[in-house]
Amino acid sequence: MDAPARVLVADDEEDIRHLVALAVGKAGCTVVAAVADGAQALTVARAERPDLLVLDVSMPEATGLEVCLALRADPATDDCRVLLLSAGASPDDVARGLATGADAYLPKPFTVAGLVRQIQLLTAEHPG
Amino acid sequence: MTAIADPVARSSGPAHRTGVAGLGAAAVGAAGVLVLVVRPALPLVLLAGSVVLLAVADLTWRLHRQQTAARVLEAQRLDLFSQRQTTADELEVATRMLRARAETMTSVIDAVTEQSIIGTDRDGLVRVWNPGAERMLGLPRADVVRTRSIIDFHAPEELDTEELDAEEPDAGGGTPFATLVRVAREQGSDVRDWTYLTADGRRLTVSVAITPRTDDDGEQTGWNFVGTDMTEVRATERLKDQFVSLISHELRTPLSSILGYLELVLDDPEQPLTGEQRQYLGTVERNAQRLLRLVGDLLFTAQVDAGRFTLQPAQVDLAGIVRSAEETARVTATARGVAMSVDVPDGGLVVSGDALRLGQACDNLVSNAVKFTPAGGRVALRLQTAWRNADGALVDVPTAGATPVALLSVSDTGVGIPNSEQGRLFTSFFRASTARRNAVPGVGLGLTITKAITTAHGGTLDVVSAEGRGTTFALALPLPA
Repeated sequence: MDAPARVLVADDEEDIRHLVALAVGKAGCTVVAAVADGAQALTVARAERPDLLVLDVSMPEATGLEVCLALRADPATDDCRVLLLSAGASPDDVARGLATGADAYLPKPFTVAGLVRQIQLLTAEHPG
Repeated sequence: MTAIADPVARSSGPAHRTGVAGLGAAAVGAAGVLVLVVRPALPLVLLAGSVVLLAVADLTWRLHRQQTAARVLEAQRLDLFSQRQTTADELEVATRMLRARAETMTSVIDAVTEQSIIGTDRDGLVRVWNPGAERMLGLPRADVVRTRSIIDFHAPEELDTEELDAEEPDAGGGTPFATLVRVAREQGSDVRDWTYLTADGRRLTVSVAITPRTDDDGEQTGWNFVGTDMTEVRATERLKDQFVSLISHELRTPLSSILGYLELVLDDPEQPLTGEQRQYLGTVERNAQRLLRLVGDLLFTAQVDAGRFTLQPAQVDLAGIVRSAEETARVTATARGVAMSVDVPDGGLVVSGDALRLGQACDNLVSNAVKFTPAGGRVALRLQTAWRNADGALVDVPTAGATPVALLSVSDTGVGIPNSEQGRLFTSFFRASTARRNAVPGVGLGLTITKAITTAHGGTLDVVSAEGRGTTFALALPLPA
């Protein structure tokens, strides 16, 4: 049996961070780290090479969009899966998010069940 | 003309009589010569007398003629003089009237202190500069008129000449001024925001109406620019926009936590809740959802107001949307004792539109109908193909020029909307008196949103209602012909 997929969670709202981490567990994955800003997310991502990053869009230091662009620009991290979470729910927001190379975009508020499903989908073919 | 001709006509009478008298004198002279021949012994005195007589007669005649001519001339002179006087009088009256009119215009323009009224010649040189312009731009009339171009008061970056068509030589050939009046030249008038630069270096957002000015012959003599300072209004609009999106973001985030953790508690199979706990938390969840909808509605209304709302068009089956709206409302309807019926075509009815937004519009109409209908009432949803006549009326049977529409009607047997209030029904935050009297919850955004969605789809939303008897909303969307 495969080792569980490793997931990095980044959101500046502690409650949401915790909720996402719970969903990661429910999806059968491991949380490698739960961080509160974009800069930390990038540092941990480069060090830990997680299978999936669940990134909030509006975070201090670097937004989720900036983190995603940086990951995609670096050959060492460009194969990480990225799921963006955002309070911006308009079609423009979604299009802007996906344009950074993210794999999926989930507007807030999301349902835990929906988030679990997305995490499972995105980690189903993880190499580890 | 008549005045000149009359004296001449009158003078011809006396002149004619003078001529007859002259002939008489000549006849007397001739008789004297005859006497001389017959009676050669008569003294020479007679001859001399005849000559004198003849000369006097002749002189008299000439004098008469000259006097007559002089009288005629005098009459003509007087006539001309009086004509000149009349013309001068008329001219003075006209001048006075013109001056009065100009003064009226000037005083009207000068009375405008909140709007700038600037008139220029055809090339933009300022000719008119009212107190409103003095106040807005901080320069007195004397410093501007005939010396400055209106372009001097415009932000140069807004008058980029590149986009101007160089093939229009009469448009001023790509000058900033030609850019400024381009739309007004093409369409006869133009109203839009421009940035004015004031004498003390401030930038103002001004809504400027530009129109060409013409003389009596229709020849264009220049341009008029009537400006209203919108700086504060636009700043407030921007602030409102930022506020709404901030609020929406800040409310969504805690709602995410509330709904997420509620979901975990409600759906935890390892720690099942008691019936009472489940009921209480269900109430919490329902209200959190209501708050979330309200946030969404507020944000959407702000986007509509700002003209920043876009559709994601696709082929949408309205039958599915109507059925799902009925399903959503069924729980509430049943709880309230309101019966619901759905009548949609078996094969569905496909329009081009944004499924999410059309669903929202349909949900709004159906939930309103249920909300405003007392126990024992009915709500009927009906979807059908109908026709829009050339005059805009919706009919079942098409006439020449009619276009097909998908018609959704939502009818209820509820409290109704008073006639006098139906015109304001689609205004943001408006609530009918029947809604307030019956304490029906809501903030008055649902119909505004529904109308905006319908309009964005090229459709119409109409209402027929009788107070105390019920209401029917008819939402019609264009179908491919």
